[in-house]
Amino acid sequence: MAAKVPVGCEPVVGSLTPSKKKEYRVTNRLQEGKRPLYAVVFNFIDSRYFNVFATVGGNRVTVYQCLEGGVIAVLQSYIDEDKDESFYTVSWACNLDGSPFLVAGGINGVLRVIDSGSEKLHQSFVGHGDSINEVRTQPLKPSLVVSASKDESVRLWNVHTGICIMIFAGAGGHRNEVLSVDFHPSDIHRIASCGMDNTVKIWSTKEFWSYVEQSFTWMDLPSKFPTKYVQFPSVDNEILLWEPKMKENSPGEGTVDILQKYPVPECDIWFIKFSCDFHYKTAAIGNREGKIFVWELLTSPPTLIARLSHVQSKLPIRQTAMSFDGSTILSCCEDGTIWRWDVVATNSATS
Amino acid sequence: MISSSSTSPDSEKSDGENEGDCSASLMYRINQLKRQIQKDRILSVREKHEENKRKLENHVSELLLLATSRSDSMKNPGTGKMLSVRISNPLCKVGGFLPGSGDRDYANGEEVVSSTTARLPLAENIPPYTTWIFLDKNQRMAEDQSVVGRRRIYYDQHGSSEALICSDSEEDIAEPEEEKRHFSEGEDKILWMASQEFGLNEEVLDILTHYVGGTTSEILEHCNVLRQKHQDTSGKSLKDSGDSGFGGRIFLDKSLTAALDSFDNLFCRRCLVFDCRLHGCSQILIDAVEKQTYSSDSEDDGKPCGDQCYLKVKGEANQTKCSTVDPVEESEKHISEVGGSSMVIKRTRDTDEHTDSKMQHGVSESIKTTFEKSDLVLDDQQDSSCKRRKLSLPTAVSVAAEDGPEGNGISIISNDYVSHSQEPDQSGYNHDISLHKTGDKVRNDTEDSKKETVNHASYSKNLPDWKPLEKELYSKGIEIFGRNSCLIARNLLPGLKTCMEVSSYMDNGAAALRGGSTSFFSEDNGKDGMDYMEPDISTKSRFLRRRGRTRKLKYSSKSSGHPSIWRRMADGKNQSCVQYNPCGCQPMCGKNCPCLQNGTCCEKYCGCSKSCKNRFRGCHCAKSQCRSRQCPCFAAGRECDPDVCRNCWVSCGDGSLGEPPRQGEGQCGNMRLLLRQQQRILLGKSDVAGWGAFLKNPVYKNDYLGEYTGELISHREADKRGKIYDRANSSFLFDLNDQYVLDAYRKGDKLKFANHSSNPNCYAKVMLVAGDHRVGIFAKERIEASEELFYDYRYGPDQAPIWARKPEGTKSDDSPAPQGRPKKHQ
Repeated sequence: MAAKVPVGCEPVVGSLTPSKKKEYRVTNRLQEGKRPLYAVVFNFIDSRYFNVFATVGGNRVTVYQCLEGGVIAVLQSYIDEDKDESFYTVSWACNLDGSPFLVAGGINGVLRVIDSGSEKLHQSFVGHGDSINEVRTQPLKPSLVVSASKDESVRLWNVHTGICIMIFAGAGGHRNEVLSVDFHPSDIHRIASCGMDNTVKIWSTKEFWSYVEQSFTWMDLPSKFPTKYVQFPSVDNEILLWEPKMKENSPGEGTVDILQKYPVPECDIWFIKFSCDFHYKTAAIGNREGKIFVWELLTSPPTLIARLSHVQSKLPIRQTAMSFDGSTILSCCEDGTIWRWDVVATNSATS
Repeated sequence: MISSSSTSPDSEKSDGENEGDCSASLMYRINQLKRQIQKDRILSVREKHEENKRKLENHVSELLLLATSRSDSMKNPGTGKMLSVRISNPLCKVGGFLPGSGDRDYANGEEVVSSTTARLPLAENIPPYTTWIFLDKNQRMAEDQSVVGRRRIYYDQHGSSEALICSDSEEDIAEPEEEKRHFSEGEDKILWMASQEFGLNEEVLDILTHYVGGTTSEILEHCNVLRQKHQDTSGKSLKDSGDSGFGGRIFLDKSLTAALDSFDNLFCRRCLVFDCRLHGCSQILIDAVEKQTYSSDSEDDGKPCGDQCYLKVKGEANQTKCSTVDPVEESEKHISEVGGSSMVIKRTRDTDEHTDSKMQHGVSESIKTTFEKSDLVLDDQQDSSCKRRKLSLPTAVSVAAEDGPEGNGISIISNDYVSHSQEPDQSGYNHDISLHKTGDKVRNDTEDSKKETVNHASYSKNLPDWKPLEKELYSKGIEIFGRNSCLIARNLLPGLKTCMEVSSYMDNGAAALRGGSTSFFSEDNGKDGMDYMEPDISTKSRFLRRRGRTRKLKYSSKSSGHPSIWRRMADGKNQSCVQYNPCGCQPMCGKNCPCLQNGTCCEKYCGCSKSCKNRFRGCHCAKSQCRSRQCPCFAAGRECDPDVCRNCWVSCGDGSLGEPPRQGEGQCGNMRLLLRQQQRILLGKSDVAGWGAFLKNPVYKNDYLGEYTGELISHREADKRGKIYDRANSSFLFDLNDQYVLDAYRKGDKLKFANHSSNPNCYAKVMLVAGDHRVGIFAKERIEASEELFYDYRYGPDQAPIWARKPEGTKSDDSPAPQGRPKKHQ
């Protein structure tokens, strides 16, 4: 369908010519097993660990630290006893008393909450009926995590008490796998999810926020918590900045105004996730051919900062991670390698 | 300027030479405008972006604060420092390439060998499922749930992990986008400019369609809208003042049909709920030929319904009524004895006018309502100054006694009550004219319950108080209750009119207004008739439409067959049931009756008369409990209906609340879906595959276990969904009838998890319950407590998926239900 964008509603499309404002060089490459790595993520929850990142792949969860001079230190490593587990996603969270948690999910559909403060499994959340495609943490309340699953639902959990607070599904919910989900960066009540049904749904938890509060003080068994089944629609309709997850944006129902497009060539497969630095200034996204595109987010029209490529990086990059200040970009590849790119402090004069 | 769009053809011709110039300049203008709009757009995006940037800065600083505060709070607790410990003491370090060594093309990846790994102990997983919604009752699919015409994404079947977007057949592409074209603001501007500066001739339209898109008619239409809008904005201030007074109208001023609009559209007369998910909104209103009459019980006959009851005033005179002696009647007798001049007039009124064949609305011909009117003629003085008379009970006697001797004037207080005697009284309308005349003068003033007054003059004041809605409600009341003011006032006009007002309206008002003895009812009828004629016509036309659609579906499903895999009826019958839709035939079904043509029986929801030959008449089973094929209901695959069957009834249980009521002696055993006499089903991990349904308590053979509920979807939809489900290797489709397939994939109940077996312990059966087909699951044999339930999905020979076609014996007896999932990333 040649859906023509009406005059006056065209998105502002960024040019693919890099501005070369910054340049990145490969400074390290790690081989972590042979299984594909699906996620890499920095810890933005806790300032002490801003240079700590975690990866998942196969049945392993590994915690690293980026050090000066391209050095990467291995800090912790976890292995699921189920060899068939294949983690797809991981997110940093934390306990009420500040203990850093890792929440990982994958093909088994069980959310593993790891207390990396004590290097132990904290809890396992059973409930999703199928594999978990994404886990994200609420930055304002990092005990809350949200998970997106192939079972067509999104669930909101409290890692502190182990309670499944809400399930977002139902008649108006996703009609195919939910691929990704995230919290609104500033509106604590809002959650956006996207799915293989080509829709993006924006959920509001405002009405049921009492459940969230209740979940922190729940003393009884978590299974006895009256989980709220939130049915669509509970929507707000305007999105100001529409971030691209795929090369082609596919707006859902409702009125969506696509403001900007950040084209990413060769990104026509599923499960490629972009990442931003802490300040949401830049975003990096890999593609099917192992290249990374670094976009400046705070400019209009969008500008491509750099296109990172390396002769040996040919396989799909599933996820990238940008460090706190955007100076380091990590990418994890299908072949189990982690690449570290560091900014080269040279071209500042060109601006 | 717009009018130039209709310029005559020859004027255009004369412009022929300029044509090129004109279009060129138009194109130039359009491009110019377009560029301007796009520039504006970029600016506006940038503006929003800047705004977002500012917001973001605030927000990020807040987050940063949070993140830094977190590390502070960590200093207190002693435990959980492992991560910090590891930072100072990592498991291993992997050196990077030195920045000085330049751009290395060859990076040798170092293998990470971690000496210590923490193990995550096995967590028991649950079998896969897709999130579903519990339904205790079937639901029709909501329009937006359709998968027809939507792109679907599949995983590549050949091992590789990535998903493909598939429009899996050409029919998807053919699906026309019937959406109305929306014009953006920018397009509005272009259109407006073009229409203002160039007029809307063909040439301009051509160019516009090229630039803006859409058809010429759409553009023309939209231009009109724009012009309207333009005019509106210029004349807005005027309009605003005009509009302001509009909102505050009260319901009472509307007509009854308007007030009942939401009721007519949203109330399901079959399920007796609003917003019925099974039969949908805006159902065709079927008006029954026979209306059930309200049989007034004895409680309504004698006693006043309240302080404002007309009986209170006029009860004194009521002698004809009953044998029970109450003080009122005693006093009445007393009056008549003492007063001497009072007389009792019996009047019978017949409502036979209702039988007018044109008036199909209602009160049936068989009902003859006899009104007994006992009018006590009280003494009244001609003296016009003495218009008011107090008639409280104790004083009534004295008044009568006092007035008796002098009495030469006659006042009438009429008293109506309705008795529904079934014997037709053909005596007609025996109205005493002289009585009527005096009756005109008699008024009731109902201000004080104790001081009931007879007011000669208030009548004409009273009448205008009746709002149109009240009048319509009143006539509805007459239709429902007959001339019983107590019931009408209580049920239809509570808080609006008192019984007494209704009574006086009924007696005098209506009659007087219409100025004749017979006018009262005929007027009513006339009005009702009008009311009913219109819906009647539309009902019929709507009905025809509906029928057409149904049949189309039927044929299409026939022609397409059932290529996909889904569960079928398990009772072995191959012809599927036919969906029942109530017919509106009146009074009798003819050859064109949709029920007859579809081959369904007429049911209680049909408009036709009870004596319709196509009606299913229910059973007369006495003690057989309707559980064998001897019962005609059972034999026809129907549940008994207490409304239709003679001996099938529902009792209020036998005290064992909470438990499903036991089927006592003689109690019908064929209403189990209707009464939800189901077993407790448990959901658990199947012994065979995936999830399974288990039984909590033991049951006997043929016991009813529960209903298989789900979404009702069309066959077309089911074909589509079937293909999707086949890929996922899991299907919850169930052939219900010629029109619908049940799909429990997204909505259903626990029985959807019962697995397939070729040697099952349950069977599924489609039953017609109150006009709807429903799937009941029954025990095929005695089943012990906590046994897993299986039934035969009845795959057709070529319909079974591979896993169901497996030769027996590969894995126990049964081929398990499809609960496996395709692996995504392997």
